[in-house]
Amino acid sequence: MSVTTRALADALMSIVGAAAVREHPGGELVGADGRAPQVAVRPRDLGEAARVVAFAHDEKLTVVPRGAGRAQTLGFVPGRVDVVLDLGDLDAIVEHNPEDMTATVQAGVTGGALAARLAAHRQALPLDPPGWGSRTMGGIAATAASGPLRTRYGTMRDLLLGVRFIQADGVLTWGGARVVKSVTGYDIPKLLVGSLGTLAVLGELTVRLHPLPEAEATSLVALANFDAAQELIARLVDSTLQPSRLELLDAAALVASSLPRAAAAIIVSFGSVEAAVRAQQAAVTAEASRMRTRPETMGPGFWRTYDRMLAETGTTRLAISTLSSRVGATATEAAAALAGTPGVVMTAAAALGVVRIAIGGGDTAALAAAIERLRGFVAGDGGSLVIERGPAALRARIDPWGSVPAPSLHLMRALKQEFDPERTLNPGRFVAGL
Amino acid sequence: MALTPEVVAELMRIVGPGGLVLTAEGRMVYECDMHTFYKGAPDAVVLPARTEQVQEIVRMCRAAHVPIVPRGSGTGLIGGAMAPHGGVMVGMNRMAAVLEVDLPNRTATVQPGLINLWLSNAVREPGWFFAPDPSSQMVSSIGGNVSTNAGGPHCLKYGITTNHVLGLEMVTGSGDLVRLGGKTVDRPGYDLTGIAVGSEGTFGLVTAVTVRLTHLPEAVKTALASFRTVVDASETVSAIIASGMIPAALEMLDEAIIKAINAGTGAGYPEGAGAVLLIELDGPRAEVEVQAERAAAICRQRGALSVSVARDDAERALLWKGRKEAAGAVGRLTASYLLQDAVVPRSRLPQIMREMVAIGERYGLLIANVFHAGDGNLHPMICYDDRRPEELERAKEANEELLRACIALGGSVTGEHGNGLDKGKNLPLQYADADLNFMYRLRGVFDPDRMMNPGKLLPSHPACGEGFRPQRPVLPAGTWV
Repeated sequence: MSVTTRALADALMSIVGAAAVREHPGGELVGADGRAPQVAVRPRDLGEAARVVAFAHDEKLTVVPRGAGRAQTLGFVPGRVDVVLDLGDLDAIVEHNPEDMTATVQAGVTGGALAARLAAHRQALPLDPPGWGSRTMGGIAATAASGPLRTRYGTMRDLLLGVRFIQADGVLTWGGARVVKSVTGYDIPKLLVGSLGTLAVLGELTVRLHPLPEAEATSLVALANFDAAQELIARLVDSTLQPSRLELLDAAALVASSLPRAAAAIIVSFGSVEAAVRAQQAAVTAEASRMRTRPETMGPGFWRTYDRMLAETGTTRLAISTLSSRVGATATEAAAALAGTPGVVMTAAAALGVVRIAIGGGDTAALAAAIERLRGFVAGDGGSLVIERGPAALRARIDPWGSVPAPSLHLMRALKQEFDPERTLNPGRFVAGL
Repeated sequence: MALTPEVVAELMRIVGPGGLVLTAEGRMVYECDMHTFYKGAPDAVVLPARTEQVQEIVRMCRAAHVPIVPRGSGTGLIGGAMAPHGGVMVGMNRMAAVLEVDLPNRTATVQPGLINLWLSNAVREPGWFFAPDPSSQMVSSIGGNVSTNAGGPHCLKYGITTNHVLGLEMVTGSGDLVRLGGKTVDRPGYDLTGIAVGSEGTFGLVTAVTVRLTHLPEAVKTALASFRTVVDASETVSAIIASGMIPAALEMLDEAIIKAINAGTGAGYPEGAGAVLLIELDGPRAEVEVQAERAAAICRQRGALSVSVARDDAERALLWKGRKEAAGAVGRLTASYLLQDAVVPRSRLPQIMREMVAIGERYGLLIANVFHAGDGNLHPMICYDDRRPEELERAKEANEELLRACIALGGSVTGEHGNGLDKGKNLPLQYADADLNFMYRLRGVFDPDRMMNPGKLLPSHPACGEGFRPQRPVLPAGTWV
């Protein structure tokens, strides 16, 4: 125990109490990069969290906000971590207004806890990034994480109405509104979604809810290859169907989800009134028969299995963003670029052009080369590739975010400089080392 | 301020004589938007035809310290596209091309001067449309929609402009040309597109917009129900939403409006109705059929005086006819009115409607309502006689009181019209000093010299000025390392 850490812990204890401070925390609070923080602080309310940030700011310490810890290896390897700000105790559902279909939650509320509370009113916050049940709202917002349901409902970007946040110097601030429609002032929630805690610490979120559909059904269409999958995607996108999810799976993803073997498959789900669900499923069957294949109906627990598969597969995970019309081609290219790499599992939110690749291991240099190749492949369409999870060695070798065009990066740097000039908040991890 | 001969010469060089308006009569056309209280003519109006010209204009004005005000069709309702501090107004009307339509990827890229409805018209035949549908969509520009983050009747289901903007090309206040976002989603870095939408020209001038197109629904069904009172209708709105459906639109008209419409072309609303609810459902046919029946049943259970469900497009158009003519029909009630755009949580509609009646009585003014009930976005029109100055003063006070009542119920200052000169001053009702200061600093990142649309969006307030320091948390005495 160094003297510095001791003194730091004492000071923080005077703010949040002894029980909420841990010196040299081990175990799960140590990031995969081995950057052990000096202390971990677990504030009980937003005021305490703000005082911790204010203190860290004045003492020129760095703060890493933490929810469920699901994105600890997203971004560059951090240079220095002084204080982990563990928001797990900010777990209150502050307000649920069923009639307004809005809820206000603290950042540490998990997707599962919120879903349980809302289900009683047949409502949901339809965000399902892999492992969503145990992830926190603050974490999902900070990383803009998404899952299959974005096909219909969008992402946190579309559902976050208002946000209470802690600025880098500890000032508690509010942006947005508590109602479903507002254009008052600037759209501050948009600035903070996906900002990885580098501009502010998210403390409390007001979100738009949706009704849970009264009926749901899921069809799997097995296909001969990615080209056939692309054809079916195009037909479903250019139709009056309103799928909740439209997923592309490669052969390995089918195996990992305990599904029948095929080279590729499209899994599409509908949520609506019973008659409309059946009618839309029938429309998928008609499209599939034109491609000489018959869909199979999945059981009600399928999306839980799929979520677990997405959450648990891969020590390295890549997210490729491309055009919806290029999902099949991108998957084909990825299969070629990663040939010989162990444990490659590919899925995609096909209508959005988001391809997810889980990788079981492999040589760092070879992975880096494959990433370069794939970045080159999607660059012409304005696409990108982000390493969402991966070993430190890989993220040290290759930029986990990819390059950002200079004029945009200039603005991003200016934002960081304006709102966190001392580089208190999560420094070094975001694009270009912001 | 008058422009120097050098600035005028530069503008002339950039856009040519046909793209420059300098005469007093010519400039007067540009002195206000549709909120005609706020007047301020620019010293010059330039009408660029290309992005490079826009960039040259910004760089030149910046160097000369001349304010820049963007303008689309001038159909805003907030004192936005007008020049309170003079300077150069940049009209985007000549940049009105559809640059690309990419149906397989559901996107279109257009220039900012393109009229909203023209985009939908251009893609309707193959089955698509641009979802944001402000009432002005026949005349308002997409650049203007982006600037104000415009809504419309159908944003209850489809979301407002920002939910449909994928990318922007913009000349920032620094004179830099930036391309933000684009046809692919999830670009690494801060969501600059998201923060720029709704910034009302204070970050820069948008020169191209990439939008998401939406597939036309399989079926549309419209129902109209009339009620004894606006409170009955408001409670029905909540009941419809609570039943688990999100209609494409859920619009309400109150008694004053109903009378005015019936006195005109006659949409045939029942006499004696205190409120009319227009309910539109769209989506898969089977869903729409079931939900329309349910919505009609809910209206009947709630004591509707009449419920009619349109059987075909012609009947549907008839049900919408009154709603579409509402703003014009107000002319039969009053020569002048103030238009409010505040929002309340939907569940508070009955309460605010009662309060509105009380405010109207207290001030002795007629308040007519036609609004987006589904998302609690009110549009009360506070009627006054403009020949009596004291009546205007009363109307202004009633308007302010109404706004404060909405905020007290947890609402918002503006739902879809934007801030401009009109609402900027009301931001402190909704935001604390620290919140305002954050916004002020954000603006400076995009426009360090604060030359872009000065005086708009943010209030004149100590927190919106240099050197303001918001209250920081107080640490326990002796906290140190």
